[in-house]
Amino acid sequence: MSENGFNRRDFLKTLGWGGTAVALSGCGNTSIEDGAEFVTSYSEPADYVIPSIGVYYNSTCAQCDAGCNITGRVREGRVIKLEGNAASAINHGKTCGLGQAGVQAHYNPDRVTQPKLNGQTVTWEQALAAISEKLAGASGAEVAFLTGGVSGHVRALLDNYLAALGSREHFVYEAVSPAVERAVNTKMYGTAMPRYRIDKARAVVSFGADFLGAWVSPVNFSQQYAKFRKGNRPEGRGVLVQIEPKMTLTGANADRWIAIRPGTEGILALGLINALGAAGVAVPGDAAAAAKDYTTERVSAETGVSADQIGRLATLLKERTPSLVLAGSAAEGYANGSQNAEAIALLNRALGNVGATIETSASTPFPQLAPRVGNRAALTALNDGLAAGKYKVVFTCGTNPVYSAPASLKFADNYAKAGFKVALAQYLDETAQAADLVLPLDSAMEAWATSVPEYMGGEGNYTQLSVTQPLMERLYADTRSTGDILLALLKQRSPDEYSGFEDFYAYLRSALLANKTALGGAGEADDDVFWNVTLSQAIIPLQGVVSKSAPQSAAPALSAPAAADASYPLRLIPSVSASIRDGRHANEPWLQESPDPLTTIVWDSWVEIHPKKAAELGIVEGDIVDVTSKSGTIQTQAYIFPGIHPDAVSMPLGYGHTAMGRYAKGTGANVYSILDAVYDKDTGELALNETSVKISKTDKRVIIVKEEGPAGGSQVNRAKIAVKVSADKVDLSKEV
Amino acid sequence: MGKDIREDIAWAQINKDVLASVQSPRKLYWVILFIALAVFGVGIGCEVMNYRIGLGVSNMDNPHVWGLYIATFIFWIGMSHSGTLLSAILHLMHADWRKPIYRFAEAMTTFSLMTAGLFVAVHLGRLWQIYYALPYPNERWTWPNFQSPLLWDAMAIFTYLSSSVIFLYIGSIPDLAICRDNIQAGWRKKLYSILSLGWEGTDRQWRNFRITYMTVACFLIPLAVSVHSIVASDFAMSQQPGWHVTSFPPYFVAGALYSGCAAIITLFVILRYVFKFEEYMTLPILRKTVRLTFAIAMVWTYLNCIEFASAWYGHSQADKAVLIQKATGPYAPFWWSMIFCGSVVPFAMMVKKWQVNIPIMFAVSLLLNLGMWLERWMIVSPTFAHGYYPWSWDHDQWPSLVQWGIVFGSFGWFTLLFMVFCKIIPSVSMYEVKEMVYHRTLAKKKEELGLEGGH
Amino acid sequence: MSVSNLLENWSKYRHTHPLDDGGHADWNAYPSPIKWAMSIDLDACTGCNACSVACYAENNLPVVGKDKYAHGQAMHWMRIERYWGEPEKAIDEFDSAMNFQLVAQNFDVDQGAQFLPMLCQQCEAAPCETVCPVGATNHTEDGLNSQIYNRCIGSRYCSANCPYKVRYFNWYSYPDQEHAWPEPLNQQLNPDLTVRTKGVMEKCTFCKQRTYTARNDAKTEGREIRDEDVQTACQQACPTGAISFGNLFNPESTVAKQWSAQQVDLVKEKQDKDGTPDNKLRGYRILEELRPFPSIMYLERVRESAV
Repeated sequence: MSENGFNRRDFLKTLGWGGTAVALSGCGNTSIEDGAEFVTSYSEPADYVIPSIGVYYNSTCAQCDAGCNITGRVREGRVIKLEGNAASAINHGKTCGLGQAGVQAHYNPDRVTQPKLNGQTVTWEQALAAISEKLAGASGAEVAFLTGGVSGHVRALLDNYLAALGSREHFVYEAVSPAVERAVNTKMYGTAMPRYRIDKARAVVSFGADFLGAWVSPVNFSQQYAKFRKGNRPEGRGVLVQIEPKMTLTGANADRWIAIRPGTEGILALGLINALGAAGVAVPGDAAAAAKDYTTERVSAETGVSADQIGRLATLLKERTPSLVLAGSAAEGYANGSQNAEAIALLNRALGNVGATIETSASTPFPQLAPRVGNRAALTALNDGLAAGKYKVVFTCGTNPVYSAPASLKFADNYAKAGFKVALAQYLDETAQAADLVLPLDSAMEAWATSVPEYMGGEGNYTQLSVTQPLMERLYADTRSTGDILLALLKQRSPDEYSGFEDFYAYLRSALLANKTALGGAGEADDDVFWNVTLSQAIIPLQGVVSKSAPQSAAPALSAPAAADASYPLRLIPSVSASIRDGRHANEPWLQESPDPLTTIVWDSWVEIHPKKAAELGIVEGDIVDVTSKSGTIQTQAYIFPGIHPDAVSMPLGYGHTAMGRYAKGTGANVYSILDAVYDKDTGELALNETSVKISKTDKRVIIVKEEGPAGGSQVNRAKIAVKVSADKVDLSKEV
Repeated sequence: MGKDIREDIAWAQINKDVLASVQSPRKLYWVILFIALAVFGVGIGCEVMNYRIGLGVSNMDNPHVWGLYIATFIFWIGMSHSGTLLSAILHLMHADWRKPIYRFAEAMTTFSLMTAGLFVAVHLGRLWQIYYALPYPNERWTWPNFQSPLLWDAMAIFTYLSSSVIFLYIGSIPDLAICRDNIQAGWRKKLYSILSLGWEGTDRQWRNFRITYMTVACFLIPLAVSVHSIVASDFAMSQQPGWHVTSFPPYFVAGALYSGCAAIITLFVILRYVFKFEEYMTLPILRKTVRLTFAIAMVWTYLNCIEFASAWYGHSQADKAVLIQKATGPYAPFWWSMIFCGSVVPFAMMVKKWQVNIPIMFAVSLLLNLGMWLERWMIVSPTFAHGYYPWSWDHDQWPSLVQWGIVFGSFGWFTLLFMVFCKIIPSVSMYEVKEMVYHRTLAKKKEELGLEGGH
Repeated sequence: MSVSNLLENWSKYRHTHPLDDGGHADWNAYPSPIKWAMSIDLDACTGCNACSVACYAENNLPVVGKDKYAHGQAMHWMRIERYWGEPEKAIDEFDSAMNFQLVAQNFDVDQGAQFLPMLCQQCEAAPCETVCPVGATNHTEDGLNSQIYNRCIGSRYCSANCPYKVRYFNWYSYPDQEHAWPEPLNQQLNPDLTVRTKGVMEKCTFCKQRTYTARNDAKTEGREIRDEDVQTACQQACPTGAISFGNLFNPESTVAKQWSAQQVDLVKEKQDKDGTPDNKLRGYRILEELRPFPSIMYLERVRESAV
């Protein structure tokens, strides 16, 4: 037709394709030529997408072990905001800042997107084949599995897998864990994680338990705290006293914050029992006997708390019943940490709080789903095995020991000795970086899972199974959930049993449907209806099993805290921030930019020094100082902080990553690397606060990047900015 | 005191001397022009960064949302006032001594306004939407906010700029005609022919000229007072400590006249030296200018004290704290420099011998202007650093090189405009100098005839 | 467009006093008048920052990174301020000598710290509104200071005149900044509101996108706005429920009940209860004496002093 062989039809075709290409090039990296993407018109959206309308799906927050129930707002297939699930007995529709940042864990630009074998991108088939090959040459005892706390069906699958391998080497490690608390609670109250009823207490005396910040289940406790503070509560407005060497967020909210000499919390607790007995409170015999030597004068001398203050504390506890005494990491992180905690628990018993504000909690009726919780002792055990070259294959998942193990353990070196290291990781953190094979994990917004929170709110024997469901499709096609990976591994081992399940979703559905009756679906004949109800609520309420062991009438033999070493005169109190936690959230930019509540510092770590000590050392704010312990030296900026014991300094954990993406890497200094390997005598838990340091000034100084301005938290007598009023000056009874 | 001008200068000599200044630039002229251009180029480069990357490159922040741009803006607006003072107010008061120096003062008014205008643009976060601030009928049915002092500001400056351009131009017409008549054929001749609007010096033309000139002068005076009062309103109408002061408008006007007069002394010295205008820009005229400047300096100092007193004896803790902060805080070196340059240095002008000492007066005038620039900065920044709300205080903010670069560049721009002006419009008013010489001659004759009166 | 229109309708956009123009004509368009207001109980506030992070998530606030934070260019619409107790002596010396070190040495920490969430106070007679040269910040019919990003030319006069310094300027084009929303973080952005460009001012909107939806729903259903219709992002997140939000003109709303129980009147610059010897109420507004008539009431932090 035409001379150049280019007819009209061809022309239109070209135009059409060209036009499509142009239209699509505006939508990110979609390319229709590659056939990689389907283009769907919003005039015919999928069922679950209503253009411009947010739809809400319930799921479970995976940001910390509290396991709050959340609701994700999804717009056009993208999850954009997380809220609390109002039906939750844990968080009652509320969230913390850490929970809010869950979307940034999901959309993080530094996620691992494909399996990597020795740095080379491989397919899942190749990755699984590599594991299979390495496992073939290993006996069960030569395979170790290191995880963070796990529960629910992932735990069940993991147990099955380890059983299939013939391995008993499951190590559960949490860098910051309430392990001492669990042990002492079991011993003293008969239950590892009782239900603390701050909302029922008339007075709370907390020995370093940062229940508003990072302790156990902060959102739950925050709501209890709000009730506790209400003036129109039947019990009246509650009074909070916080006793700790470094002011935590909870300490900042106390009616009285008492700076105690680090490690002497148990002494004060026994001193209070003694003082209460003297004041006429009927103290049980074992407690009275344990406390009889702790006279106020002696206690005051040893703890640095004035006798007058001890007297007022005793009066408070005597007058305000029921009360609640809590022990947190500030009291537990010592070689005598368990003893401290026991003394504090004994104070609760002396006050008759056990049963009143410390309720026995129920455990899940499905023991195979119960949380398997972690501690530091597990890491030590694994480390010993690694050092001995015991393991041919090591799996790690949801934990980052290469970063968080104290340098004195030499964990990184020992880890390198393992034959084949497999890391299930969402980000290329320090541990994943040291691994041979990295398997990319789904985020909590893409994965299926169930979980059982260790600390359960609610009343009586209430407990629940929380469901984690995908809030959107996978961002990256090649990531898998932990459940999927375990299932794939199990298929290698016992194909007969598991080949029926296409993926973890199928397994989970069948597992839950199999227990429909027990899960409260007795009246529901139709599986699909039960399943849909379960997913829409994402909470399965259960009648828990109350199993209470008899508390021991142990009278703790308090050993004296270690004497200060003259060359390392200051006690280092590592602090756990409510947002960065043990360091696993250092790559979420909202949390890095969210100021630390007390120092208001962002994007860096710091060392808190008491003004008097700073003056003594000639240090001013912003001086770069060397913080030196027996185990090493790190450099950071000095912040002059009034809320700390003059003989202590404090640094936040979680900074100073050497990997884990653009936001975490190189931000701040890693406190774990200078911790001395001192352990609690009874539980083997790392004694976090048992490191002594010296501070020496370098010749560098910076302007600290923080929210606080030059007024330094002073209101400069400008009337009525942030007003505080004495409780006797207000009438709270008529408040709304 | 000597005579303001010799009465025996021939009119042709005046033409010759003054016209020499508009002709054949020397090599040095081009060098300076090039330097001015380069300095302006630095400013342009900085503005390109501002525009493309965002105003953050200036190191401004919350709460320091305004910085040197606004301070320098006020500085240049202030500079513009002396021109009007000399050309309009003193004209109406028949002060003859103003005649040899008002032309360049008037030019200074125009050019400093043009420089100030740049800062309005530079300061904006979205320069490309600047037309939103103009009250013009549009299809969006949106108006600017007539309540905003910033809008008054824009209007006042625009009116003042256009009026002073007209005033400068009208006043130059007879001289432009002289240029036209005395210059060789070429593009300049054509330019002067057009600009002089066919001026022939007829009686009718002179009469109309006088009336127009007088009218514009009358119009300009309230404008000049209002424009800086309005700039003061930017601050006085706000609620911030240190700004919310009723005495701000007169204080600003005084400050403006002060810096303007100081700048006149500076330019007086430069022009006198460069163009060898010793015959016209005589020492007695310098002495009068210096005395005027001193008087204004004292008014400014007085108003400054009033401001401090009202802060000190007022009940606002915040106002007081800003004042204390100025004197003792991070801005103290600049604030005390301002006090020194603005209130102490002018006492040098009390020394009779120094009043006509050109090097001393040149140095003094530069110091005065430095003081006045510091004054504007000390009005703007300390309030941001130390406002009502202690939490948002910020004492560490320091302007970035970009900000300094634009301030620096503005001096290049001003110099550039002024240099071009010098070579196009005679910087000394020939016809008024002739008038002055005539007045002198007349007075002398009257004296000789033993008659009373005369100027 | 006419000048008469301009003059007649002027008062709709500006207030010098909340009662100036006898209510707001446009409010009649809704089932009943709306005045969004908040109350923040400082006794319940623990300073945990959840509200602030929730605000980042809801309102597309950019993370500016360490350098820009250091330059004071952070964009937190809701900031948590932390104050220490101050002994009287230090205050006096501090104020006259500006001796910050001295005060820092003498902070009183016996009662912990004090936290204050500070956000735009949505003043009824807002200092920011009158000064904007282009009218980019206006009073809306539901009683908010709206910021019209399209109209803003970035003169920053509003921020200069804000006594609380709660307005945040886009010093950079944050969507282009490599650290703010690198792929795929940008997929988290809330499509209900824009990402602001460089050169415009922004601030807390009381989650306009949420209140607007709630208002429209109420209108469609022909009923009053109820408390459960809308929560701001900060309120929804707050673990202690320290923040209440709602329609102050609806006597059934929690906010209205709190304001009236505390005897805080929106239209007064000095409350009747202030200075009375038997005043045992703890509601107050910050910098009330400057007459901006803020829409946020704070409740004083209560502390037991005898322990």
